[in-house]
Amino acid sequence: MARQRNCEGVTRRECLQLGLGGLLGGGLVGALRATAHGAAASSITRQADSCILIWLDGGPSHYETFDPKPEAPVEIRGQFEPIATKLPGVYYSQCMQRLAAIADRTAIIRSIRHDQGNHGAGNHYMMTGAPPRIPVGCGAFVSFHPSLGSAVAHQMGAPYGMPAYFSMPEMSRSGGPNFLGQKYAPFVVSDDPNRDGFRVRDVAIPRGLEDGRFVGRKELRGLVDRMARINDQAAADPVNAVDEFYQQGYQLISSAEAQAAFDIGKEPDAVRQRYGRDSFGQRALLARRLVEAGVPFVTLYSGGWDHHTDIFNSFTKRVPAFEASIAALIEDLNERGRLDRTMVIMLGEFGRTPKVNKDAGRDHWSNAMSVLFAGGGTPGGQVIGATDRQGYSAVERVLSPENFVSTIYRKLGIDPDMILYTPEGRPTHLVSDPTPIHELMG
Amino acid sequence: MSTCEAHLRGMMHPFPSRLIVSMPNRLLLVVCCGVAALLAVATPLRADEPVSFDLDVLPILTARGCNTGACHGKQRGQNGFQLSLLGFDSEFDYAALTKNARGRRVFPAAPERSLLLQKPTGEAPHGGGQRLTLGDDDYQVIHRWIEQGMPRRIPGEPTLERVVVEPADLLMAPEEEKPLRVMAYYSDGSSRDVTARTSFQSNESAIVAVDPSGMLKAGPIPGETAIMSRYMNVIAVTNVAIPLPGEVPAELYEQLPRHNFIDELVWKKLQSLGITPSEPVDDGKFLRRVSLDLIGRLPTPEETRAFLAEESSDKREKLIDALLERPEYADHWANQWADLLRPNPYRVGIKAVFNYDNWIREQFRQNRPYDQFVYDLLTAQGSTWRNGATTLFRDRREPEEITTLVSQLFLGVRLECAKCHHHPFEKWSQEDFYRFAAYFARVGRKGTGLSPPISGGEEMVLTAKKGSVAHPLTGETLSPRPLFGEAPVADESADPREALAGWIASDDNEFFARVQVNRIWATLMGRGIVDPVDDLRTTNPPTNEPLLAALAAEFRAQKYDLKKLLRTITTSHVYSLSSIPNERNVADTRNYSRHYRQRLRAEVLAGAIDDITGTNTTFEAMPAKSRANQIWTHRVDSLLLDTFGRPDPNRDPPCERTTESTVTQTLHLMNAPVIHGKITAEEGRIAQLAASDKSTDEIVEELYLAVYSRYPDEEERAIGRQVFEQEGVNRRRAAEDFLWAMVNTPEFIFKD
Repeated sequence: MARQRNCEGVTRRECLQLGLGGLLGGGLVGALRATAHGAAASSITRQADSCILIWLDGGPSHYETFDPKPEAPVEIRGQFEPIATKLPGVYYSQCMQRLAAIADRTAIIRSIRHDQGNHGAGNHYMMTGAPPRIPVGCGAFVSFHPSLGSAVAHQMGAPYGMPAYFSMPEMSRSGGPNFLGQKYAPFVVSDDPNRDGFRVRDVAIPRGLEDGRFVGRKELRGLVDRMARINDQAAADPVNAVDEFYQQGYQLISSAEAQAAFDIGKEPDAVRQRYGRDSFGQRALLARRLVEAGVPFVTLYSGGWDHHTDIFNSFTKRVPAFEASIAALIEDLNERGRLDRTMVIMLGEFGRTPKVNKDAGRDHWSNAMSVLFAGGGTPGGQVIGATDRQGYSAVERVLSPENFVSTIYRKLGIDPDMILYTPEGRPTHLVSDPTPIHELMG
Repeated sequence: MSTCEAHLRGMMHPFPSRLIVSMPNRLLLVVCCGVAALLAVATPLRADEPVSFDLDVLPILTARGCNTGACHGKQRGQNGFQLSLLGFDSEFDYAALTKNARGRRVFPAAPERSLLLQKPTGEAPHGGGQRLTLGDDDYQVIHRWIEQGMPRRIPGEPTLERVVVEPADLLMAPEEEKPLRVMAYYSDGSSRDVTARTSFQSNESAIVAVDPSGMLKAGPIPGETAIMSRYMNVIAVTNVAIPLPGEVPAELYEQLPRHNFIDELVWKKLQSLGITPSEPVDDGKFLRRVSLDLIGRLPTPEETRAFLAEESSDKREKLIDALLERPEYADHWANQWADLLRPNPYRVGIKAVFNYDNWIREQFRQNRPYDQFVYDLLTAQGSTWRNGATTLFRDRREPEEITTLVSQLFLGVRLECAKCHHHPFEKWSQEDFYRFAAYFARVGRKGTGLSPPISGGEEMVLTAKKGSVAHPLTGETLSPRPLFGEAPVADESADPREALAGWIASDDNEFFARVQVNRIWATLMGRGIVDPVDDLRTTNPPTNEPLLAALAAEFRAQKYDLKKLLRTITTSHVYSLSSIPNERNVADTRNYSRHYRQRLRAEVLAGAIDDITGTNTTFEAMPAKSRANQIWTHRVDSLLLDTFGRPDPNRDPPCERTTESTVTQTLHLMNAPVIHGKITAEEGRIAQLAASDKSTDEIVEELYLAVYSRYPDEEERAIGRQVFEQEGVNRRRAAEDFLWAMVNTPEFIFKD
């Protein structure tokens, strides 16, 4: 049986002899629970090694980013003007100047839509490719399915000593591992790399313990740790996750590569300036360093895009620096020769309502949204799909969240059609519709 | 608070469109009258028979998914055509079809040219795709209704009263198939089989799946789930269980200990599933578990020694009684309630929050009966600088905001959805919501309102002479009405909140006791009988209804005394079960056949680290030697508390406390300078032990008692000697290393 039911590697720990004869022990159930590991090797060619997912939490407006509607009435088109991009005939909204200047390197999808109009559900759908399984109340933090980052961590693993999935400065609502287990939860770096003396908290051994005393402590911990573990996954023993974390923690502490990747102070000033000397800009730079250290998935979480009020002032104040950081990331990756193998994606849970509301804001709107996609073998200089004349709904090349996540998985060499098994043995497709967006596949 | 108000503004799309199944080969149904027709096989409508809008047409629109939240049922409709969500408002829908858009949706002179038929059949372009087939039975019903001149009602037509799914409880064998049948009952006593026009959904389709015809199919694995059947906007639930195969002799259950009703009801459920309970824990584990649960502290080495040495047969009961009298009881339980009630001082003001926190703590210090606690809170009057409870009304300023909080916390009813539209999976309408909110319409305020980020002013909460709540759609002024039952406001001079608070906190209100016992049970047992704990609804059934009902009845009988409730639960045999499974309960995660391990809560963990290292933590804005669970706001800095998941009040919307483990927590315990400082502190336990004349063995024993609440066994004593007697290692350093190692083990981090 593929499942671990022995106490291998946990010597000296009180071993549980769970006389699991009978039903739970084998036969069909056991077979069902076998993990998907070792299943038919994927025939998918990997195009990218890493993905930097920039998550605009709240749902950025498609009108004020990549899908302006200058011919719509003013109550729909809003206060902003469209601007020309590097691509003839393609216009962005006025704040997106730096990204407009590199429109030839990026692809914009204007026609992803779904039917989950609240944050909890919309986040879940875009972050996992699966709609919430049961109705989700407003504002929920839910997880019914592994997130993109967790599934990538599960499938691709990580370089020694590094977590495979980072999220900065926090994890998004549905960015967790679900049934894959806490081992594949994001490593959250909440510290601000824009601050002087930035270090990732608690990854360095306390002073005075470096002389091998820490190694002694680690061994001693192995000796005194004798609490019985319940190895059967169906028991959902939360202690098992802690074991994983100690393993990860030890590796992280002892990994020179990890420590070096975190040391953003090694970057020349000019590079730091280029990304923007604010928290987001420096996180984008840190993301590049992590990707260069071999980390396959990094989520850059950015909050505050739920513009029910005052959208135009808010965009005017915030977006220029924000989009410049993203443009800098894409350009820098390109100059360093890494853009070909690194995807950079920007999106939120949905678009925003066509009519500007009485508070000069826009509300939730999942019938249309715009997503930016660059790198990892993505043919640049294209706009995929379209919304109608007034931006109400995706009408051309209508695409789903399933298509979106399948694209990311396939680029990373992961078969979106693969079957994963929950601890209870439930088979689950990684993505229910494994069709990628072929225009992005190159 | 788990509600995030900011999200309420968005539209709800509760049922993904893919779940709305279209049902081919549907039989047409007649309005059957009389008992004989009750179970009659549905027969097609005859051509001349009148078609009812409510009973025939609307169910078709619902079954075909026309009025879901993703289509015409959403807030502003779809493409200018709006229906009420799942057909809850037939007046509205009738007007939408026959009167709005200049009546072009229906065309009695040539019914087939009505948009109502041309759109869903795809004859005219339809964003929602094809929903009806030209000429099929449903098509003909609608056609005939239009032809008959779209009657609003047939004379004497009954109304739908309730929907019943059969069976409501079901045991199945693996791979077995069984059909569901859904019956609708009408006001004239008639009924129909409406299975064909019902949508079905399984909460866990790997356990039991359901197809569009209502056929259940059990999977290969034992387990439990609920199946939702929705006819129109009424939902009925079937609980299905697949017991473990194999026989367990009935005597096994008969012989299990029964300390009180909890044991009886848990054993009964376990027997029905063929699950057997784990063994009870030993005294050391019990002491540690119950101390952490009741007072949020580890027992001291002296307490552990004394308890283990005591020989009386009722020593566990005596321990429980003693713990309930400890002053730390109030700190621990008030800290948990603070999560639910206490707002961010940057918004509401430091003094107001400080007073509120103190008011909450006082309730637990006095062991105020829960009904009085809630009554006082909901009717609070006076100054936010004097009566802390009024801060609730400083924080929540609109009747709607108070309504969502009050209904969720004290009734376990999540009303947010009904703020904007009929609750899609419950019976609550917008009118219910705003009539409930109307009880708070006359909350008046005087003084200085909010002015973040200081908000330092004093505000008076009082009963205003005027104030009303209007229905957001009709604009009609709504008089107060509770969700069910009656709660009349005495007269115009009375504070309407008194009527509501009396109704909420009354013995007749089932929800009131249920949500609170469920919350307490979940805290002690690791999972609510209903989960999430404050979401009591038909579609989220309890795993053990008799147990929940009995706990609620007991709580009422004990006059809402929280300590008595805690005593009842902790003295049950079920509470004392080990977390270690046997072969017949290893997969049980919801029936309490074993204890479910929980990571220590942030404040409890912080306090435990202080205790075992013999140090104090200095918190800003707190007196010296304060403990983490005495802090009056989550805004007091503490990396440790943040890392271990206390709610973050800076986030908008605020988020819930997290109970999971993370690698960041692991790293913090291993490397955080603060914890390192505590272990090595000059005045701490380690320094004292090292300087004492205790032997190695005695030091090791002391550490085991302090951290794990048990004596070390021989092997562990040997490990101790090995560490302490290494060459070049002094006692201090050995003891530090030992304590570091123990703090970093799950035996310390978890309540087991």
